[in-house]
Amino acid sequence: MSRTGFLKAGAASLLLAATAFTLPALADGKLVVSSPQDPGSWDPIDTFLVNWASAATNIFDGLTYRGPDMQIVPALAESWEELDDGKRIRFTLRQGVTFHNGEPFDAEAVKFTFDRLLGDDGAKGPQRSNYTSISQVEIVDDHTVDFHLGAPDPVLLTKLAGYGAMIVPPKYVSENTEEFFNLNPVGTGPFKFVSYEPKVSLKLEAFEDFWGDKARLSELEYRFITEPSTAVAELQAGRVDIVIPPTIPVSMVSTIEADANLELASVTSPTVWALRYNTRDGITADERVRKAMIMAVDRETIVQEILGGQAEVIATFQSKLSFGYDAEVKPLPYDPEGAKALLAEAGVQPGASVQIDVRGNDATFGEVAQAVAAYLSTVGINATIQPYELNTMLNDIIPQGKTGAMFQQGWGGWTFDYDNTAYAMYHTGEKWNPYDSDPELDALLESQRPLTDRAERERILKEIALYTAERALEMPLYNSNALYGINKRVKNFEPAPDNRLRLNAVEVE
Amino acid sequence: MIGFILKRLLQAAFVVVAVSLVVAVAIRMTGDPALMISQGATGITEADLQRIREGLGLNEPFIVQYLNSLAGLLTWSFGNSFVGGTPVNILISKALPATLMLAFTSLFLSIVISIPLGIRAAVSRGKWSDQLIRICSLVGLSFPNFWLATMFVLLFAVTLRWLPPSGMSGFESFIMPTLTMGVILTATNVRLVRTTMLETLNAQYIMVARAKGLSENKVLYKHALRNCAIPLITYFGLQFGGLLGGIVVIERVFNWPGMGTLAFDAVAARDYPVLQAVIMILSLMIVLVNLAVDIAYGLVDPRIRKE
Repeated sequence: MSRTGFLKAGAASLLLAATAFTLPALADGKLVVSSPQDPGSWDPIDTFLVNWASAATNIFDGLTYRGPDMQIVPALAESWEELDDGKRIRFTLRQGVTFHNGEPFDAEAVKFTFDRLLGDDGAKGPQRSNYTSISQVEIVDDHTVDFHLGAPDPVLLTKLAGYGAMIVPPKYVSENTEEFFNLNPVGTGPFKFVSYEPKVSLKLEAFEDFWGDKARLSELEYRFITEPSTAVAELQAGRVDIVIPPTIPVSMVSTIEADANLELASVTSPTVWALRYNTRDGITADERVRKAMIMAVDRETIVQEILGGQAEVIATFQSKLSFGYDAEVKPLPYDPEGAKALLAEAGVQPGASVQIDVRGNDATFGEVAQAVAAYLSTVGINATIQPYELNTMLNDIIPQGKTGAMFQQGWGGWTFDYDNTAYAMYHTGEKWNPYDSDPELDALLESQRPLTDRAERERILKEIALYTAERALEMPLYNSNALYGINKRVKNFEPAPDNRLRLNAVEVE
Repeated sequence: MIGFILKRLLQAAFVVVAVSLVVAVAIRMTGDPALMISQGATGITEADLQRIREGLGLNEPFIVQYLNSLAGLLTWSFGNSFVGGTPVNILISKALPATLMLAFTSLFLSIVISIPLGIRAAVSRGKWSDQLIRICSLVGLSFPNFWLATMFVLLFAVTLRWLPPSGMSGFESFIMPTLTMGVILTATNVRLVRTTMLETLNAQYIMVARAKGLSENKVLYKHALRNCAIPLITYFGLQFGGLLGGIVVIERVFNWPGMGTLAFDAVAARDYPVLQAVIMILSLMIVLVNLAVDIAYGLVDPRIRKE
């Protein structure tokens, strides 16, 4: 054996030995998910973090369920009917369901859950405000409950599918301290809790007595990894099977696509991005200027070149999955000449300046803002970009109306209901609406809220969207995709647009 | 000596109070935790926010909130995290050992490498081995630690798959973070040992030791190194404090469940109790390490003990 041959053989055997020693032996049927955020508590009423639902949707059930196909289907309630013009909903509950600790699921559990959510416990958390349309839950018999509503709530059935409305076990919750339940959750879902180490991991295992399609994995682990490059390194090393949003930035898509063991799933998400205008002061108080600025920016090119096509240009501030989306409304065309004409008509002199406020930690949007500024300069507007720390921007600069002429806004509610966005963005006096006040728009927004007639409500929501587009209240940019990095050994995984994952059908090779 | 220690302890208490006060005031100026918690909630009203604030104990006057958190240092109870309500001492009891272990292994690695190398360089001053060691240390100094960390991950975890890319899970998981921190510390320390040693080697007693016919190793390690000890201990001690701060970045890259990760998440979420506890404990430790350095002087140098 030559000297180099000997060295090679030595290196190879060292590598083999090290590999055998360090490669984690993933047992059959174990899936590891990397999630960017640890919610700190698994109690449904404590948190509003999407990544709570990415894990806890496996532990808990709601009365209804909404999966990746966005359809509302029965879960712990087998059926329901609207009574008293939508002011009462009667739910017939599923029978023979037990919690992970053996407690039976019945009408008492439903009442307990909502009394807790709407009572003192819930008042300390952020979930309660979503469910205040419920005035009372009444037990009709062991397997029937009536929800009495103060006013009809057209989004209630969706909201019952997640977050604060997840059903909790009455005996377990009342016998243990609040803190204990936070750290040791019990529900009726396909996976039951095993252990939780804060900032490190949550471990679950299949619940054998689950009422629906039983889990095919025996173990399910969530690891909390914030840094995208670290999460992707774990994925490449085969120690993590799925990296869920919001982790993978567009810039890392090529890394995943280049790896033969991995695949990328890109699905429409609820999150839309816009540069919203200060409609009260400066040149952007003029609707023509706002429209001209939109027309000056080639949004399609931005999506293709900066976002690698992992997004879709929008015409109004909502995703195409949103209730209230109108495919007929098209984005304003890219038309620099038309933009110049409009600006001239509005009396804006070439060299006018605007400030664009962005979130300092968002590198991708930073590039988008640079591109927008460059496009604006072609029609004679000088844009400067002002980055802010995220929390300062969200809790001070925007609500206090201290922004420049344009400011970055991202939005997307898991309910995929345009009301959730439109009311918060456009109604007078809302936190996210520091500048605009439009009585006509306010009236439209208020008129759809109590309607249980879906078709009529959708018509009004579409009207609202069209109205905001015509007034050009923001420069609508794009609907970003949710990006999942997946090891090819994972089978039957369906990426959810809302990132609420229920993994009972998933298998691993 | 006892009076000296008491005086230093008093100073330590003052530093902790001052630092924690600055942090407590500063974080309260940067945003409302109730808004952070309810980010994305629909139809949240001022009354809802007020209820959330009350639940978090934010309706108390600032001075009460601050004194409570300070008292936590004595009773080791820092209240509950604003994110999820986990008791802060549970979080700290996991994070503090994780960070300390990493800081110790990094410093230990660096000392073990830099003392012999530094002495070698000093002894062979101007010769090729001195040049080589100095160039290597310059190269080491020039690496930003997060870059080095990323390169290590790409090589050892992704390409070779010898080591886990992140997390704290047994011996292997310590190798990359320790190496990353260690390399950069070593680069500085080698130069420090070399300079200190050069000064000492010029002293007359070294000449005397050599004249007595002592072996070179005895001269270097028994006489010279012992006399270098004061500046070196000072420096390593101070470095330990700096290390606790610098570890934040490394913890993030390696997803290390330590104090840096806690602090990072706490700042992002405006989680006052966690952030205050982390800062108070870290500043207390830095002060205590400095105190230990002072005491160690006395142990290595009888002249200081007598003073």
